[in-house]
Amino acid sequence: MSHSEHDETIYRTTPRRVGKMLAIIIGIQVIGGAIFFTHYDYWNSYLPEAGKLQEQQMEQAAVPSTSGAGPSSTQGTFTGKEIHVNLKFIESPDFKSYGFNAPKGSPGADPEIDVNVGDKIDFSVTNGGKSFHAFAVTASTSGPGPAIDGTTIGTADNPMKPGDHGAVSFVPASAGTYYYICAVPGHRELGMEGKIVVGGGAAGGLAAGTGGTAPANGNKVSYSLAFEISPDFSKYGFNGTGGAGTNPDITVHSGDTVTIHLSNPSKSFHAFGIVTDPENPSSVVWNAAFKSPDSPMKPGETGDMTFVAGTPGLYHYICTVPGHAALGMDGHFIVEK
Amino acid sequence: MVLELQKPRPVWQIMFSTHHTDVGYLYLVFGITFLFMGGVLAMIIRTHLFFPGQNVLVSDSATFNRIFTVHGLTMLFLFALPVANGIGNILVPIMVRYKDMAYPKLNAIAFWMNPVGAALLWLGFADTTWVSYAPYSIIRAPGPAADMFIFGMKILGISSILSSINFVVTVLKCKHPDLPLRRVPLFAWSMLTVSLMTIVAMPTYAAALIMMLTDRLGLSGFFNPFAGGDPIAYLHLFWFTFHPEVYIFLLPAIGMMYEIIPRFSRKPLYSQASGVFAFVMLGIIGFASWGHHMYSTGMDFTTKVVFMIGTLAAVPASGMHVFNFLATMWGGRIRFAAPMKFAVGGIALFFSAGAGGVLNSAMPLDFISHGTYWVVGHMHLFLIGTIGFGFVAMIYYMFPYVTGRMYNEKWASAHFVLMFWGTVQTFFTQHLLGLEGMPRRVYDYPTDFTSWTQLNQISTVGAWLIGASFVIFLASLIYYSAKGKPANMDDPWGIGGKYYYPVSAKNPHGGHSGY
Repeated sequence: MSHSEHDETIYRTTPRRVGKMLAIIIGIQVIGGAIFFTHYDYWNSYLPEAGKLQEQQMEQAAVPSTSGAGPSSTQGTFTGKEIHVNLKFIESPDFKSYGFNAPKGSPGADPEIDVNVGDKIDFSVTNGGKSFHAFAVTASTSGPGPAIDGTTIGTADNPMKPGDHGAVSFVPASAGTYYYICAVPGHRELGMEGKIVVGGGAAGGLAAGTGGTAPANGNKVSYSLAFEISPDFSKYGFNGTGGAGTNPDITVHSGDTVTIHLSNPSKSFHAFGIVTDPENPSSVVWNAAFKSPDSPMKPGETGDMTFVAGTPGLYHYICTVPGHAALGMDGHFIVEK
Repeated sequence: MVLELQKPRPVWQIMFSTHHTDVGYLYLVFGITFLFMGGVLAMIIRTHLFFPGQNVLVSDSATFNRIFTVHGLTMLFLFALPVANGIGNILVPIMVRYKDMAYPKLNAIAFWMNPVGAALLWLGFADTTWVSYAPYSIIRAPGPAADMFIFGMKILGISSILSSINFVVTVLKCKHPDLPLRRVPLFAWSMLTVSLMTIVAMPTYAAALIMMLTDRLGLSGFFNPFAGGDPIAYLHLFWFTFHPEVYIFLLPAIGMMYEIIPRFSRKPLYSQASGVFAFVMLGIIGFASWGHHMYSTGMDFTTKVVFMIGTLAAVPASGMHVFNFLATMWGGRIRFAAPMKFAVGGIALFFSAGAGGVLNSAMPLDFISHGTYWVVGHMHLFLIGTIGFGFVAMIYYMFPYVTGRMYNEKWASAHFVLMFWGTVQTFFTQHLLGLEGMPRRVYDYPTDFTSWTQLNQISTVGAWLIGASFVIFLASLIYYSAKGKPANMDDPWGIGGKYYYPVSAKNPHGGHSGY
C-alpha cells in the first residue's frame, strides 16, 4: 500500500484516554492490594496435607515406644542441681567442619554433658562463627529436630546472627541421651551436635560405664531374663512388654561373677549382650554376649551366660538384634564399687 | 487508524473485543503493568541485600522468599510471555496477510485467563521459588498460597497452549496463498517456532503441577520422599518444559530484532533462510538440554555428556542469528533511533550471556557455579539483556503505531544508557559474586567477606540504575502517549521503508478489501 492513502482522520491517543487506562490499571492494583494485605497471614497459614502426614510420621519416630525409659520430648521439673554450660558456635576456616566451642574433631569440641533427671542445665550460647546458627536440645538422634519445648535460641528461619548471644535452660524429664544441636539444617551433620547423657532412677549419679575389666572377687550372683514380645509385635522387652517388672534394673558389684539365665518365649529371634551404648549393639563389654544377630536364639531356646562385671558405671543389657533395643529390649545394668 | 483508537471507542469496547490488535493491545498493557510490578519487587530484593546483616526492607526470610518467588513468576509469565504474545497478536496476522488470528474468540479467552492466573499468583504470594522444587513445595510450602500458585500456573499454562495453537494455525493455515512459508517474516517465524515448542513442552509441566497438587493433598507420593516418591523426577518434568521455555522467552525477542535491525540499517535482511533455519534448530535443540540444570543431582557421566553436547549445540544456531544481525548492519546507513539502540544493545548482551552459558553447560565448571549468584547473573543477563532489550526496542518501535504519537528520543536515549550501564553493572557483577561463592536465593549474607559486601553493593547500585531507567520509560510511555507530538504515520523516524499500516488495522470488524 502506498503512503498517501490517509484520506480519513488520524485519531491519536488523548490525555483523557490515557487517564482512563491508568485509572483502570491502578484501580485494579489498589483493590488487589487491599485484598492481599488484609489477608496477609491467611495466604501462608496452613501446611499441606502431605506435610501434616510427614510431621505425624516424624513425631511417631521421635517418641520412644519403650515404657518409662528413653528421652522425653518435654521438659521436666527442676528438683536437682543447677549446671552452667557455656557454648559457642564455631566453624573451621574452610567451613567444612562445624562444632560447639571448636570445630568437630578438634580438642574441646562438642563437650558431653552428664546430668541426672531433674537437674537444670543453663546454656549460655554465643554465635562465635561467621554463619547463622540456631540452638536447640532434641531427643532425636539425627536431623535438625524436633526441639524440646523451651530449649531453642533462634530457629532455622530466624537464626542467631554472628555475634548474637542467648541463654536457655533445659531440665530433662527422663533418663536417656539427648543432644544439643544447631537447628539449621545440615549443621548438625557437619558436627554441631553434643551429647547430654541423663542418668535417672536407680542409675542416678552414675556415669556411663567405660567397659574396663575388674578381677573376680569370688562373689556370685544370678538373674533370669526372658525375651518377650507383645502379640502385635509393637512392644519388646525383657520379662514383660511395658508392664510392671519389664526391663528390671540389675545392680551388681564390680568383680562379681554374674550368671544370667536367658529364655526366649517369644516368636522371634534374639541375642543378648551387655553394652555401653544401647544404640550400638557392637559395643559389647567383657565379652558379655550370648549368641549374636547372625546366629540368634530361636523361639523356645534357653541358655545361661556367665561373666565378671568390670569397672563401675551404667551399662545396658539389650537384645543385640538390630532394632530390638530401640523397640524396648533395653535395661539398665548398673555396676557399683 | 491508530491501533489503540481504530475509530474512537470507549475503553471497555477494546476490553471486550476479539480483534487481534485489541487483544494484542490488552496483552501489551497487561505485560507492561506486570513488568513494573515485578520490577518493584526486584528493587526491594536488591536494596535489601545492600547491607549484610540488616533487615533493610524485608523483616524476615519467609517474606523475602515470597518476594523473589513472585518476582520470578511475574517477570517470566506475566511480563515476558504476554508481551511476546501481544506483539505477536498485533503483527503476526498482518505479516501472514490474514484479517485476524485464526480463532479470535479463543484468542480473547487465552488473554483473559492471564488476569485470573496473575491474581492467583499475586494474591497467594507463594514462597516456593518459581521452580517450586519438591519436597519443599509438597510437604512444607504453606497453603493456600502454594495451591494458588499451582492453579495460577495451571491457568497460565492452558492460556499459553491455547494462544500457541492459535498462532500455529494462523501462520500455517491462514497465511495468504501467495505467501510461501519461507517468505513469512522472521518475527512470525519466531512466534511459529515458540508456539510449536510450547505445544510440545507445556503438557509435561501441566502434568507435573497436577502431580504436585495431589502430592500436597497427601493422595499420591510422586515427588514426596516420605511417601516413597522421587523429588528428582519433578526436576526432570519441570526442566523438560522450562528449558525449552527459555527459548520460548528468547526467540520472540530475536524475532523482534529481525524486524528492527534491517529497517534501521536501511538494508534488506542479510539472510532470511539462515534466520528460519536457526529458529527451527533452536526449537529442536531446546529439547535436548534440560539436564544441564541438574548436573549436581548425581546424574551419571554419560547422561551429563549427552546434555552437555545438547546444550552446546545451541551455540551455532544462536551464532547464526548474531552473524545475521551483524551482516545486515554491515555497510548499512544505520539510524540509531531508540529501537535500534536497544536492539544492538540486546545483541551485545545476548553474546555476553551466551558466552557465560557455554561455561555453565561445561559440566566441570557447572559444579563451581551451580547454585551461586553466577547463575542469577547469567539468567538475568539473558532475561533483561536480550529479552528485555528486545521487548523494549519493540515497544518503542510500536509506540507511534499504537498511540499515533511520538516518544521523545532524548528521554529514550537516557533510558537506554541507564539500562545498558545498569544491566552490565548489576549482572556482570553477580557473575563475580557467584565465583566468590555467594549462594543464590539468600535472605542475608555474613559481614565478614568484604568482597561479598562490595560486589553486592555494586550490583545493587546497578539495579537502581535499571530501576531509574524504567521510571523514565514508564513516565515516557504515559506522558508521550497523552501529549507526544503527533507522529508521521507513514514513516515516524524518517528512514523510508515500510511501517505496518494494514487494512485490517483500519477496519477491525471485517472489511478486508484486498491488500
